[in-house]
Amino acid sequence: MQQVFESLALGFSVALQPDMLLYALIGCVVGTLVGMLPGIGPLAGISILLPLTFSLDPTKAIIMLAGIYYGSQYGGSTTSILLRIPGEAASVMTCIDGNAMAKKGRAGAALCIAAIGSFIAGTFGVIMLTLIAPPLATFALRFGPPEYTALLVLGLIFLAYMSTSSLPRTLLMAAFGLLLGTIGIDVISGHFRFSFDIPELGDGIGIVPVAVGLFGLGEILSTPSRDVQNNVTAPKFRELLPTRDELRQSAFPIARGSLLGFFVGVIPGSAHIISSFVSYALERRLSKHPEEFGKGAVAGVAGPESANNAASTGAFVPMLALGIPTGPVIAVLMAALLIHGIPPGPSLVNEQPKLFWGFVASMYVGNLMLLALNLPLVSLFVSILRIPYAYLYPMIIMFCIIGVYEVNNSVVDVWIMLIFGAVGYLLKKFAFDPAPLVLGLVIAPIFELSLRQSLIMSGGSWQIFLQRPIALVLLVISAILLGLAAWGAIAAHRDWRAKLAAAEAGE
Amino acid sequence: MNIRADQVAGGAFILLGILVFIIGWDLPFGRLSAPGAGMLPKLMAGLMIALAAGIAINGQRGEKLSEIPWSDWPHAALIILISGIATVLYTTLGFIITMTLLVFSLLVIVERRRLWAAATYAVLLTLFAYVLFGTALKAPLERGLLWF
Repeated sequence: MQQVFESLALGFSVALQPDMLLYALIGCVVGTLVGMLPGIGPLAGISILLPLTFSLDPTKAIIMLAGIYYGSQYGGSTTSILLRIPGEAASVMTCIDGNAMAKKGRAGAALCIAAIGSFIAGTFGVIMLTLIAPPLATFALRFGPPEYTALLVLGLIFLAYMSTSSLPRTLLMAAFGLLLGTIGIDVISGHFRFSFDIPELGDGIGIVPVAVGLFGLGEILSTPSRDVQNNVTAPKFRELLPTRDELRQSAFPIARGSLLGFFVGVIPGSAHIISSFVSYALERRLSKHPEEFGKGAVAGVAGPESANNAASTGAFVPMLALGIPTGPVIAVLMAALLIHGIPPGPSLVNEQPKLFWGFVASMYVGNLMLLALNLPLVSLFVSILRIPYAYLYPMIIMFCIIGVYEVNNSVVDVWIMLIFGAVGYLLKKFAFDPAPLVLGLVIAPIFELSLRQSLIMSGGSWQIFLQRPIALVLLVISAILLGLAAWGAIAAHRDWRAKLAAAEAGE
Repeated sequence: MNIRADQVAGGAFILLGILVFIIGWDLPFGRLSAPGAGMLPKLMAGLMIALAAGIAINGQRGEKLSEIPWSDWPHAALIILISGIATVLYTTLGFIITMTLLVFSLLVIVERRRLWAAATYAVLLTLFAYVLFGTALKAPLERGLLWF
C-alpha cells in the first residue's frame, strides 16, 4: 500500500505539470464536444484525433487521448438527456429518464446528477484501478467463451426480469435484437447472412444508426410540434441544481452503479456495454416507486451514468495490467501507445513508471476537470431547450443524419436510421420497450461467437456451461431470476409490476 | 372491429420470424459440435415466433387496435419522406445544399412556417453545422457536384 501511494505521488508529479494539465484539458474539452455529437462517439473521436498526437511525447499523447475518452462519456449524456439522442449504446438508458426529467423542467438537475455521478464513478474507478488492477485483471482473464456466454445470458435475463414490459415482450425484443445482430458476414464460416447483396451490410447493422433511429428519430416521429408545450424559460441558477431530495435519491444508485460498472468493465470483450443496461434494471427493481421509471426517475439517470463511467475506467485494467484491449476504443488507445514504441502490459509499470502512474493520476485530474467544465455549462446546455420545438427537431434530424453518416461515410447507415425511426414509432404505439432490442443487437456478435466457440470446445456438449464454475454461477443466477419472474407472474399480487399497473391505471 | 393491438403486433413478429426462416433457409444450421452460420438466426427466429404467438394469444383481452391514437402518422410519414429524399440527394448535391433543403422543407411543408424565416434558419443552421463538423472536427462531409 505504501508503494502504491509513493507511485501515485510520482504520477501526480507528472500529471500536475502545466503542459500535462493543458493536454488533459484539451482532451477533456474535445472529448466532451465529440461526445455531444450523435454518432461521433469516443471511438470515432479518438480515431479522428489520433494523428494529432503523433508529434507529442507518449505521456502527453496518452493523457490527451484518455481525456477525449472519458470526456466523450460525459458529453454523451448531454444529448441523451436534452434531445433523447444516444450517441452510443452506453447512453441509451440515460435517454429514457434523463429526457423525461428534461420534459418535466428538470434538465439542469438531470445534467448535474449525470455529471456528479460520472465524477464519483470515474474517481471510484480510478481508485480501484490504482489499488487492485493486477489481481483483478488476472481474474478477468479466467473468462473464456463459456463464461462470456453465461454472462451475456445473465445480462439479457436480468434486463428482461427488471423491465416494465412483460417478460415475453422483453425477451421478444431481445430476440429481435439478437436476430438483427446476425446480419452480415459470419466470422467463423464466412457466410453472408441477410445482407441482400448490399456490401455495407457485410459488417452488420451498426449500433449507432439503430439506437439513434429508435430513440432519437422515433421520438420525433411520434411528437408533432402542436403537442409540445414549449414552456422552458430561462432557469434561475438554483433551478438548475438538483434538490436535496434528488441528490439523496441519486446517492445509492451512484454507489451501486460505480461498483457494478467497474467490475463489469474489467471483463474483456466489450462486456462494459451491458453495465448501464443492468444498472438501470437493478435500480428499477430496488426502487420503492418503479412506476416512476421512464417518467423521470432520478435513479434512472444516476445509476446508468455512473455504471457507464466506472466501466470506462474498469476497461483500462486489462490493458494497463496485461496488455489486453477490452474493446475497440481501448484497442485504439493501445495502438497509440504502440505507435510511440511502448507496449502496454505487465512490464509497463516497471519500465515506464512515469507514464503509467502519470496516466493514472491524470484520470483523477481529468475527472475533476470534467466536473468543473460540465457543471458551469449546464445552463448553456439547458438553453437549447428554449428553442421552439418546431425549429429544434429539424436541427436534431440534421445532426442525426450527419452523425450517423460520419461513422462509416455510408448512406446505407442513414437508411437504417430512418427505417429504425419508423420501427421505433411503431414499437411505441404497440407498447414495446426498444432498450432490450438495442442490447440484443450490441451483444449478438459476442454472444454468437462465444456460444459457438464453447460448443466447438466441448465437442457439442452443453455440459461445458455446467463444468466451468464461473459460468455455472452466472447461469444459476439467470435460472433464479427466471424462476422469480415466473413466480411473480403466478403470484401477481406480490409482483412489483402489479404495483406499476395499479399506479398506471390510477392515472 | 375487435382486433387487438397485441394480436397485430404478435402476428407481425410471427410473419417476420417465418420470413427469416425462408430467407435464411440455405444457411447451414450445422451440428452441436460445429454450429453453422444459420444456428443463431434460426434459433432466434424460432424463439421470436414462440414469444410472439404467446403475446398474440394473451392479447385477446388487451387494448383494441382502434384505441391506439394514430393522429400523428401524417407528421411521421412526412418527416420520413423528406429525410429519405435528403438521403438520396446527399452524395449528389453535397452537405450544404442537401441539409439546407432538408431543414427548409421540414419547416415549410411539415411546420407551415414562413418562407423567409425557414430559409434564414436553414442556411444559418447548415453553416453552423458545416463549421462545427467540417472545420472543427475535420469530419469528411460530402462535397457533392457543386464543390461544397
